[in-house]
Amino acid sequence: MIVAKRKPFNEIKELISGSKKILILGCGTCVAVCLAGGEKEVAILASQLKMALGLVNEDVEIDELTIERQCDREFIEEISTKVNVDDYDLILSTACGAGVQLLSDVFDHKVVVPALNTTFIGVAEGPGMWTERCRSCSDCVLADTGGICPVTICAKGLVNGPCGGTRHGKCEIDPEKDCAWTLIYNRLKKLGRLNRMEQALPPKRYSVQQYPAKIVHEAYRRRYE
Amino acid sequence: MITFKLNGREVEAEEGQTILQVAQKYNIHIPTLCYHKALSPAGACRLCTVELFDGRRTRLVTSCNYPVWRDMEVRTDTERVIKGRKMIVELLLARCPDVKVLQDLAKEYGIEKPRFKPETNDCILCGLCTRMCEERMGVSAISLTGRGVELKVDTPFHLQSDICRTCGACASVCPTGHIKLEDITGRKPQIIPSEFNRGMGPRKPINIPFPQATPNVPVIDPKTCVHLNTGACKVCQEFCGPGAINFDQKDEIIEIDAGAVILATGFETFDARQKPEYGYGRYPNVITSIEYERILSAGGPFKGHIQRPSDAKEPKRIAWIQCVGSRDASIGCEYCSYVCCMYATKQAMISREHDQEIEPTIFYIDMRAPGKGFERYYNRARTTGGVRYVRSMISRVLEHPQTHDLDLTYVDESGEIQTETFDMVILSVGLRPDPAFLKLAQRLGIKLNRFGFCESQPLDTISTSIPGIFTCGVIQSPKGIPGSVLQGSSAAGAATSFLAEAQGTLVREKIYPKERDITQEEPRIGVFLCDCGINIAGTIDVGKVTEYTKTLPHVVFAREYLFTCSTDSQEEMKAMIEKHRLNRVVVASCSPRTHEPLFQDTIREAGLNKYLFEMANVRDQSSWVHTFEPERATAKAKDLVRMAVARAAKLGPLYEFPFDVVQKGLVIGGGLAGLTAAFTLAEQGFETYLVEQSDQLGGNARALYYTEDGARPAEYVKELINKVKAHPLITVYTQAEVKDYAGHLGEFKSTISVNGRTEEISYGAVIVATGGTEYQPTEYLHGENEHVITQKELERRIALEPESLKEVRNLVMIQCVGCMDEEHPYCSRVCCTAAVKNSLKLKELNPGINIYVLYRDMRTFAFKELSYKKARERGVRFLRYFLRQKPEVAEIDGGLQVKVFDQNLRSEVMLEPDLLVLSAAIRPNPGSKQVADVFKLPLDQDGFFAEAHLKLRPVDFANAGIFLCGLAHMPKFTDEAIAQAKAAASRACTVLSQKQMYVGGAVAQVDSTKCAICLTCVRTCPYNVPRIDEEEGVISIDPAACQGCGNCATACPRGAIEVGHSTDDQFVAKICALY
Repeated sequence: MIVAKRKPFNEIKELISGSKKILILGCGTCVAVCLAGGEKEVAILASQLKMALGLVNEDVEIDELTIERQCDREFIEEISTKVNVDDYDLILSTACGAGVQLLSDVFDHKVVVPALNTTFIGVAEGPGMWTERCRSCSDCVLADTGGICPVTICAKGLVNGPCGGTRHGKCEIDPEKDCAWTLIYNRLKKLGRLNRMEQALPPKRYSVQQYPAKIVHEAYRRRYE
Repeated sequence: MITFKLNGREVEAEEGQTILQVAQKYNIHIPTLCYHKALSPAGACRLCTVELFDGRRTRLVTSCNYPVWRDMEVRTDTERVIKGRKMIVELLLARCPDVKVLQDLAKEYGIEKPRFKPETNDCILCGLCTRMCEERMGVSAISLTGRGVELKVDTPFHLQSDICRTCGACASVCPTGHIKLEDITGRKPQIIPSEFNRGMGPRKPINIPFPQATPNVPVIDPKTCVHLNTGACKVCQEFCGPGAINFDQKDEIIEIDAGAVILATGFETFDARQKPEYGYGRYPNVITSIEYERILSAGGPFKGHIQRPSDAKEPKRIAWIQCVGSRDASIGCEYCSYVCCMYATKQAMISREHDQEIEPTIFYIDMRAPGKGFERYYNRARTTGGVRYVRSMISRVLEHPQTHDLDLTYVDESGEIQTETFDMVILSVGLRPDPAFLKLAQRLGIKLNRFGFCESQPLDTISTSIPGIFTCGVIQSPKGIPGSVLQGSSAAGAATSFLAEAQGTLVREKIYPKERDITQEEPRIGVFLCDCGINIAGTIDVGKVTEYTKTLPHVVFAREYLFTCSTDSQEEMKAMIEKHRLNRVVVASCSPRTHEPLFQDTIREAGLNKYLFEMANVRDQSSWVHTFEPERATAKAKDLVRMAVARAAKLGPLYEFPFDVVQKGLVIGGGLAGLTAAFTLAEQGFETYLVEQSDQLGGNARALYYTEDGARPAEYVKELINKVKAHPLITVYTQAEVKDYAGHLGEFKSTISVNGRTEEISYGAVIVATGGTEYQPTEYLHGENEHVITQKELERRIALEPESLKEVRNLVMIQCVGCMDEEHPYCSRVCCTAAVKNSLKLKELNPGINIYVLYRDMRTFAFKELSYKKARERGVRFLRYFLRQKPEVAEIDGGLQVKVFDQNLRSEVMLEPDLLVLSAAIRPNPGSKQVADVFKLPLDQDGFFAEAHLKLRPVDFANAGIFLCGLAHMPKFTDEAIAQAKAAASRACTVLSQKQMYVGGAVAQVDSTKCAICLTCVRTCPYNVPRIDEEEGVISIDPAACQGCGNCATACPRGAIEVGHSTDDQFVAKICALY
């Protein structure tokens, strides 16, 4: 799941300054789940903005709307059935970076600004806490590393570790952070697959990672040729 | 009935009423000084002057004594009236410049300084005192004497009066404080000491004896009431609005037909005067712990301010003396009172919270902290809490006669004699049965023990010597709150079993009319505003609020009531709902906690759904807290009512659904507690499943051969197993485990695996009795040397192989093995008593044996203290060691050697026992963890189950329908486990005995179109109710299991969850109404 965090309030206030009518557009999927941009967070942000702007006597009208996903055109197009987008000077999106971009594409005559900083692909560790688990490197090594990603969790992204900087299971870069390779070692030991560590993995194929990445499903290739 | 005009408004009055009386009825303010409801009007102060128009001319009259007549016109606020009043106030203020009431009036009328020469008098000659003395008290000890400027209140011949009864009524009505009783009489007025505050404060002849009194209404004390003693007074009758005062009430004899009786008469504290060496009653600063409890209380005589009685100074050095009236053969009270160690610790801690500079010291013999969480609390008090503990019995208290400071002399841990001075000494007095109970017991013919407590059978603490009479609480034996609560449930259960046949025969069911469908109607709101006597109307102008309420949107009816909660008001509420077709009701009165259920019931009787009701708490939130700002309180009351009306308009009906209760019980754990619980349920007629993990029933009790009070748990449990196995309503599963659970209170479902195969069961309530085990020590050579055994093994040998112990010459017991240390900071409660009982048995078997018990604190509480005393008399030696100097055990030449530093002797002692017995701790059963996981139940830090409330709900879990008993809860004695098991069964019966229960109403609902299954609610819910509906791909919340707390609704990031009756639109409307 994509995990994001709301931008500092003052920054958001800065981003919308000058606009008289604003639509705050929430996204009901990943960012709702990570408590950053769903219906509730949209309502909170709207109230905060109304109060902050009210204090300096700025007359700004703010509307709220949350759609299922902002990363699919069909859902974005549905917006027009609920509000008239042309009424607004600015759309403040609480989606991830992908959502904000697609929104800008669809409404390319409107100013669309993000309210969140999209941060990582991760998992929920418990209520209100998420950790990063994947760098989307396009060349997964998890089969060899006991299901623990060295590219993400090792500070140096080493695919053959540990380095000399492991200290009592922690990383030399930050004693608060676990050493990924100690975790990998312990996991493989538990699985009885320590022999996997005896063989050095080949250098990582960073060439397969293209920016910006694009995937076309086999079955649909002809459509885009 | 007379009608006339008051301030332009048509008003109604009775013949003979005065203008003032009518004005008060209509909430029109007229200032008075000499007026009193209970006295004839005097017209003395002239302040209540009003302007009267009789059809031809206007004139000024005093409203307090001017009777009304038809068609008169009265104005209370004309310029002429104000001018006249202003002059009166100015003259009075010149005479009495220091009197508060006049200063206030001066402010009201805008007088800064009187123009006249100020005098120094403080009597305004209102005559209230003389009229009170004459008219109401019938004494006339004082009267107005002299004429003109000489006029004053005085006794005949200015001598102290012989006829004055020192009732103080004159002083109590004096508005200025001029009347002093010592000027009138030579007798010293006596205050009436408040029994609840232990004589440390006064009370009135009419009072509510204590805050929890049931019913919570005032009573008239016949000993001090002036009327009941002299026939005079009756002032209270004039003030009681509903006319509830009844002087003719007599004690009544009421006969009740009862099939069972439960005695729960409680205790009295020991009379500390019986220990004259402590000076209680002679030295003002020596007080009892119960008096100190009142001092600490915010509702106590000093409002929670800690002060010493002699001079009201804040004490810094406070000493507690423990065991006053307990463990004391000299006064015939050898038993331990159980609660004093912990209450002294609590009081010391709370004292420090009040004032960090207080240095508390507790002088004690043994610190007894054997309850749940007690040891941790004691450790906290001793370390970070700043409480000093000194192990020394104080033999006397000496007072410094001038300062009233107190000297205590004691022997410290190093054997030195010390004398210390304290500001205050608190005697930790023990518990006694209530003296009235002794008389009652005699009349009932039940047997008491030699201390006057109810004699109970071993293992059966709730039965008395007469069948059908049960007992609980301290009259059975000294105990704390949780023990009393669970024994109460236990006794209630026993009485119910006794009356099983008659159950439900006296219950009458209430039938409500069909509910009106209001969903298509526009809101029609009725608002009922309450004066609450003077509680609300004394501060808030309820009339004004009512008029205002009528202007609010959707309000079609608003009226003021003296008491909205009274029976006639309820009838009227029903009538008004009918007459005005109301579909929402708002009551502006007190807190919903007091009367919401009553009002909801009333509107149901009128055919409305009970959720179409809203309250505005204008008493607690306005009149009580803003007593001195009536205008702003009235404004706030309007705000509160407006908010309530706004929400009411958004209210909708909610429905609760009945379901059939599965009238079967599940008991997990087949030990003594589980067996008892299952048997009790079955005896009440409920089918019961008993699931035991091992292949045998009986648990630990099988190896408990005897107790200190003569019971034989092993035999008892064997018999109980037979009874359980033979019971037609009990299904026993051994080698079985509960695998899962679903459902809710009244309707649970589980899969149990029995010996590899699985079975589905459904039931309405669960009792968890997973038990405990004895810790297997790894210290003190246990497991290495065959002469090192545990207390349990010793008991087995005493019972089954007594011959093997005949040869033992020296035996050492080590207490607190595996507990009361850093890793396991809890006390196992039973080991001290086990050591004592086994020692006594060994001495019987083998009188020549030398027994040494190495202990930390002997915790033989309540009557177990008698066994401890007996053991000492029989020559068992008790050696005390410190945690930091644990005994050392070594094996030398095949023999055992125990080295210990005896704190009492202050030297090292070397012992060479033939047998070393370890009192090993009680640990929770490892299986508890699995049960906790399946049922999502909380465990405490030590792995025992955590009950809903440590003190008040000792057998309940927070999760409804799940109950707890036995060692799974905490270490305890067999009789306690049995009592708790019966209590748990009794609590479970409150569920199982209902055929139908209702679910739903104000519970959470998920909007499935919005739900993103983010699991936030799943992680938030304290009751684990939200479940993933895999078919629909959304979260579902079972209305039956939902407790309606609303945590999920606030957490849901998509706003997909709402709790009925607390919806967003209702509260947004409520908040928006404020601005």
